[in-house]
Amino acid sequence: MATDNQNLSGDSMIRLRDVNKTYQGAVPLHVLKGINLDIKRGELVSIMGASGSGKSTLLNILGILDNYDSGEYYLDGTLIKDLGENRAAEYRNRMIGFVFQSFNLINYKNAMENAALPLFYQGVSRKKRNRMAMEQLERMGLADRATHLPGEMSGGQKQRVAIARAMITNPSIILADEPTGALDSKTSHDVMEIFRQLNREEGKTIVIVTHDPGVAEQTDRLIRISDGLIVPPAVAADGITRPEACVMPGGNIVTPEEPSLS
Amino acid sequence: MTDLAREILQTLGHNKLRTALTGIAVTWGIFMLIVLLSMARGVTNSFDHNMLSRNTAMIRVWAGKTSIPYKGNREGRYIQFDDADLRELPEENTKYVESVRSTISGGGKLSTPKGEVSQNYTGVYPSEFVPSRHGDLVEGRFINERDLSQKSKVIVIPKYYASQLFPPDGEGALGGRVNANGLSFKVVGVYESEWNRNAYIPFTTARMLSADTKNLQNLAVSLKNVTTEDDGNAAEEGIRNTLSATHNFDPKDDNAIWVANDFNNALTGKTAMGILDTCVWVLGILTLLTGIVGISNIMFVTVKERTHEIGIRRAIGAKPSKILTQVIAESVSITVLFGYIGIVLGTAVSQVIAALVGDDGPLLNPTVSLSIAFEVTLVLIVSGALAGLFPALKALKVKPVEALRDE
Repeated sequence: MATDNQNLSGDSMIRLRDVNKTYQGAVPLHVLKGINLDIKRGELVSIMGASGSGKSTLLNILGILDNYDSGEYYLDGTLIKDLGENRAAEYRNRMIGFVFQSFNLINYKNAMENAALPLFYQGVSRKKRNRMAMEQLERMGLADRATHLPGEMSGGQKQRVAIARAMITNPSIILADEPTGALDSKTSHDVMEIFRQLNREEGKTIVIVTHDPGVAEQTDRLIRISDGLIVPPAVAADGITRPEACVMPGGNIVTPEEPSLS
Repeated sequence: MTDLAREILQTLGHNKLRTALTGIAVTWGIFMLIVLLSMARGVTNSFDHNMLSRNTAMIRVWAGKTSIPYKGNREGRYIQFDDADLRELPEENTKYVESVRSTISGGGKLSTPKGEVSQNYTGVYPSEFVPSRHGDLVEGRFINERDLSQKSKVIVIPKYYASQLFPPDGEGALGGRVNANGLSFKVVGVYESEWNRNAYIPFTTARMLSADTKNLQNLAVSLKNVTTEDDGNAAEEGIRNTLSATHNFDPKDDNAIWVANDFNNALTGKTAMGILDTCVWVLGILTLLTGIVGISNIMFVTVKERTHEIGIRRAIGAKPSKILTQVIAESVSITVLFGYIGIVLGTAVSQVIAALVGDDGPLLNPTVSLSIAFEVTLVLIVSGALAGLFPALKALKVKPVEALRDE
């Protein structure tokens, strides 16, 4: 336990210990059956898993959108457990940047207002938050789209606005749920490039949930979840830990060509 | 605060149709409440005014024909009031009867060297003529007590006859001379009325012209010490008993004399006005409730429609209290804004109706007071907050995860 605590204050950004989650119903559904997971500060990881594997539930718990029943979840050294709705909202606002498959922009707000919205809930003045939103949009190459409504933008542009919104509070982690699910391959590649750039240049910790092997390939590490448990990584002959090959529902076999841990 | 206002404006502006539909429900409710209250106020004012402008502490009696045999007299006998009744009624009923007056008519025609009209004179007491009820004096004065005591030969004529007796336009009528029943009367007043054509002379002068003292058609009894309906009934019974004794008819005979109890009628009218007022309030509040139920419904739909948006806002860190504040503030803004429009429209329509009807009609000053407008506004704010509260609480029961999933 002592070493664990040292790790908490060290480079572990996300630390899950024996996290269990059961959905109560007519037939209780044990979705997460003791998840142990460490994600280091500055890592770019992907999480893959079949439908019903507990992937979405895990993401919701990581994003403080849902509670878990037992175990421990430390985010950036803070124990996230049994939070009231107000605390949860505050932590989400300050520590987590969300990127969704369907963008989840507010359709009557323009790009700048959408990107600035998290700061509204921090009580940042309108002038300041709009300036900060403009900076983020400029980084995303969307300065000329600042006054456009989501309906007037392409999927790739909308996702970049969403990333700008996720980045504006300078969160501890970015959680992306199928961020390229609604995009074509060219745009997907662009969006992934942005994530890689944020990871490389700012050391941002990024967790991407995906079922696209091409996306998973571009991350440092692949975490597989199956039947409510993390599939342990195989240790290859060369001594380098790499994710084991994943068989996707479509029959594709994913094997990252090179270990990208540096 | 300005940020919140900006958010609300943006949301309401984005959903113009929804905002307008909600708003119309509220505006209509308030509009109806204000108009109904104004009209009721107008009717009440008008009633009060009419009551005040005539002496309601009065019982009027007309002579009829007996229908029941009484003390050896057969039925079918005509009752004739006479001058003795004018003295005896106050003497016999000291508690309630103040005074009694009557009218005598006769003559058949009025004439001047320049014109002639077929019209009886009417001998009256000064209190017979009530300005604005019987007409408005345009020149001179009405018969006064001095005329009565001196049996003056003076006459007050309607303008309608003035122009016929003093053609072409009645000029010189005031101070002019009119012949009636072979005597020359001096015109001391000219009045204007749409329906009244009486030519008034002093009662005493008329009595002098007619020797028959049993020719009084009616008695107007002024009451005193009456406040309740029981007083009114007691006064009426006293009058009936006195007349029954002097004219020998059964006090239970409803056809022998005809009695109009103005005092009790006025009391009944006042009660009716109170009931009208209550009814209007009930109606108005029900109408307002309809509007509020409308807001609640639309807020429910609105919040349901915005579940996804609320999910997004919560995911990026909106605290429940912020969401609650925003939804309630939105609904209060709608109710207050459109409610205010309703108040303005309602007041404007009341004013237009007031202007169209004028002061003489069945409506007098049909407006609501400022305090009622304030009360209505307060009701609006509270109901708007409640209308927003429940949908907002419902919205917060949905977990952000579920809201986000809801596409």
